[in-house]
Amino acid sequence: MNRNQDPIISIENVYKSFGHVRAVVDVSMNVYPGEVVVIIGPSGGGKSTLLRCINKLETIDQGRIIVDGHSITETKNINKVRAEIGMVFQLFNLFPHLTALENIVLAQRVVRQRKTKRAEEIAHEQLAKVGIAEKWNSYPSQLSGGQQQRVAIARALAMEPKIMLFDEPTSALDPEMIKGVLDVMLDLAEEGMTMVVVSHEMGFVRAAADRVALLDEGSIVEITTPEKLFSAPEEERTQQFLSQILH
Amino acid sequence: MTTKAKQAQSGRLLPIPIPWERVPWWAIILAAVGITVGWSVLTSEAYLEVIRFVIDGLQLTLQVTFIAYFIALIVGLIFGLMRVSENPILYAASTLYVEVIRGIPLLVIILYVGFVITPNLRDATDGRINLQGVPAAVLGIAICYAAYMAEIYRGGIESIERGQMEAARSLGMNYIQAMRHVILPQAIRRVLPPLGNNLIAMLKDSSLMAVIALPDLLQMGRLYVSRTFRAFEGYNTVALLYLVMTLVLSLVVRVIERRVAIE
Repeated sequence: MNRNQDPIISIENVYKSFGHVRAVVDVSMNVYPGEVVVIIGPSGGGKSTLLRCINKLETIDQGRIIVDGHSITETKNINKVRAEIGMVFQLFNLFPHLTALENIVLAQRVVRQRKTKRAEEIAHEQLAKVGIAEKWNSYPSQLSGGQQQRVAIARALAMEPKIMLFDEPTSALDPEMIKGVLDVMLDLAEEGMTMVVVSHEMGFVRAAADRVALLDEGSIVEITTPEKLFSAPEEERTQQFLSQILH
Repeated sequence: MTTKAKQAQSGRLLPIPIPWERVPWWAIILAAVGITVGWSVLTSEAYLEVIRFVIDGLQLTLQVTFIAYFIALIVGLIFGLMRVSENPILYAASTLYVEVIRGIPLLVIILYVGFVITPNLRDATDGRINLQGVPAAVLGIAICYAAYMAEIYRGGIESIERGQMEAARSLGMNYIQAMRHVILPQAIRRVLPPLGNNLIAMLKDSSLMAVIALPDLLQMGRLYVSRTFRAFEGYNTVALLYLVMTLVLSLVVRVIERRVAIE
């Protein structure tokens, strides 16, 4: 992480409502290149919404989000910006009609204009990296949840994104599947990938997070380092939340 | 690995247990009855005479059905995509089309195309565009079924989980790419059964073209009956021929459905 650089994600006074429900309220934060930021908070607190605003899966009502120098709200070509932002979903969202390999090849060909052969090479590399090289020819329905999520990560990484967003990547997994996915994420953090992660995996927070943000009722309660979070959180709301999830 | 791949690898076909519960018993019984009836028909000079008389009509029926079906598949897809579009003009245009066409009986549409649209089109273009006759029937049936199919496609597209579009878009695909490579391949697999049903329904509904005096299977049957007064043999043959065609199509549709099912 390098704080002397300009932030790669800059979120400024962002508001987002669904009807009368205010999901994100006046949130501002920066993410620097190579940084791993974990967003925690109670469910319905706006964590996923904030994450989805970063690649414009949700459009914001007010404020500004600048990713890698492009204003998300003003850019003419959102697809170009999105290609630089990998996203991993809670429910994997693999394409069920395509094999693992084809899942990873598709966007490389269509978006990055890579030749099929080159895209397949990269796909095999990425599958090996996430530890399931031998599953390249399986359909998603033939894979376990953990394997599906690793294919989803490989699919995002094959685009060679500058940023990776993780939206509760382990919360739909059986307990024994979680470690494999977290290991992949830890490796990625170690390699210096910029990551914004919505997760309650405190082990991951301890091992990999540079900063942790607690989001409640759409607002940031506190942004702090993991050390401070676990030893001496400043806000009472943070203490209260941690006492609920650390047992 | 699929069973087929395994078989290919081992280099020979493994014995496959017969799935008795999946045998289409209804088809076997029907085929038995069909063969019995067919045999008595084909060995009877009276029925052979009818068949010889209506055989050209059968050809026209199939021709019109397949051309109209092909057009309806494409036009229906276009209107179906417009129905799920966020563009209010496209959405309104396709909704208007579907609601209007769905509310008019096919018989009326065929009469209208045959006796209003095509003659006027011919006169307006000084005879350069003359779609009277068979093209009018194809057009009328295709226009009508395109509206039904638009709704089928729309249902199929909307049945695909939202996460699929989101995943495709988050990888940088634009809307059209995501539709083409991610949503439609899945949606079309899901709507194959209703699309297949429409082919069968269309084959039967094509008999309505008789009202604009086209010599299809039904019209030829009526002609035969009016000439010979042998209504029993005449309409038996017509009904039997329609039944044979729809049953064959039904089996073909089943085979296609199985082939493209998501593993």
